Amino acid sequence: MTSFKFLSCFKCLAVAAGVAAVTGVGFLYSGLYPMGADDHHNDLTYWALETLRERSIARASNDIEVPTDLNSSERLLAGGADYNDMCTGCHLKPGKTESDFTLGLYPAPPNLTLTGDRHGHKHAGDTDNDDEAIKRQFWIIKHGIKASGMPAWGPGHDDQRIWNMVAFLQRLPELSPQQYQILTARGADDAGHH
Amino acid sequence: MKRQSLSYFVALPALLLALSAQAHDPKEHMKEAQAPDCAAMKDMDHSKMDMKDPVMQAMMKKCMKAMHKDEEGSHEAHGDKGHTDHGNHDEKSDEKKPAKHQHKK
Repeated sequence: MTSFKFLSCFKCLAVAAGVAAVTGVGFLYSGLYPMGADDHHNDLTYWALETLRERSIARASNDIEVPTDLNSSERLLAGGADYNDMCTGCHLKPGKTESDFTLGLYPAPPNLTLTGDRHGHKHAGDTDNDDEAIKRQFWIIKHGIKASGMPAWGPGHDDQRIWNMVAFLQRLPELSPQQYQILTARGADDAGHH
Repeated sequence: MKRQSLSYFVALPALLLALSAQAHDPKEHMKEAQAPDCAAMKDMDHSKMDMKDPVMQAMMKKCMKAMHKDEEGSHEAHGDKGHTDHGNHDEKSDEKKPAKHQHKK
C-alpha cells in the first residue's frame, strides 16, 4: 500500500516535471521573452541572474592570491593608463557621469569612480573583506562576464597588467579629474610601464 | 537558427567593446597620447598632500620628467639667449673696435 502511494507520488512528480520542462522549452521557442536591452528583466529574473553571477564569481575567485605591493605608485601609473584606454567608455572617469555605453548597456556597467556602495551594485567596496572585492575585480577583468558586455581581458593581457588595473581601481573613487589626468596620461615617451 | 540569432545578440555588445580596444599594446596608444597636465599640480592644495601616499608619489614620478624637460628647455632657451647676447656684445665690441681704430687713424 505504501509502495503504491510512493509510486503514485513519483508519477505525479515525473508528470509535473515533464509538463514544466515542455512549458519551459515551449517558452524558449515562442520568442515571447523580450531580449532588448532597453526592456529590463523582471525582478525575479534579475535576482536569479545576479545571484548566479555573484555566486559563480565568488567561487571561482576564491583561490586567487592578491599581490602584497598592490598599493605601489608604479602599479597605479601602469594601471591608470590602461584603465583610461580600455575601461572609461563603460566605467567612466572622474568628472564624467554617463556615456552611450552606460546609458545603453543592460545591466548598466558600474560607475567605478564611485565606491561600491554608491554605484548601486552589491559588491566591491561594500564588503567587509577587501580581499574578496579585490579578487573579484581581478577575476572579472581577466575572465569577463557572459552576456553583459564585459569582455575577458585575460587573452591579451598578462596577470601583472591586470593587477595593475586592479590597483588603480582601489584608488580611483578618491581621485579628482586633475589627479586622474596626470596619473593616466601616456606622455610622449611613456612606454606604458610594462 | 533562432539560437544562432540569440547568440548574435549576446555577442554583439562584447564584440563592439573588443573592437574598440583592439590596441592591447600600450605603444598603440602612443599616437593619441596626452601629456600629463602637471601645471594643475600647482593649483592643488599642498597642505593636504601626503608625500607618502602612492597617488602623490605616482603623480610626482609622472611629472618629474615633464618638469625636468621644461627646466632643460628653459635652460637651453636661456643659454641660447645668453649666447646670442654675448654674440651681440662681441659684434658691438667689434663694431666699436674699428671705430677706435678709425679714430686713431
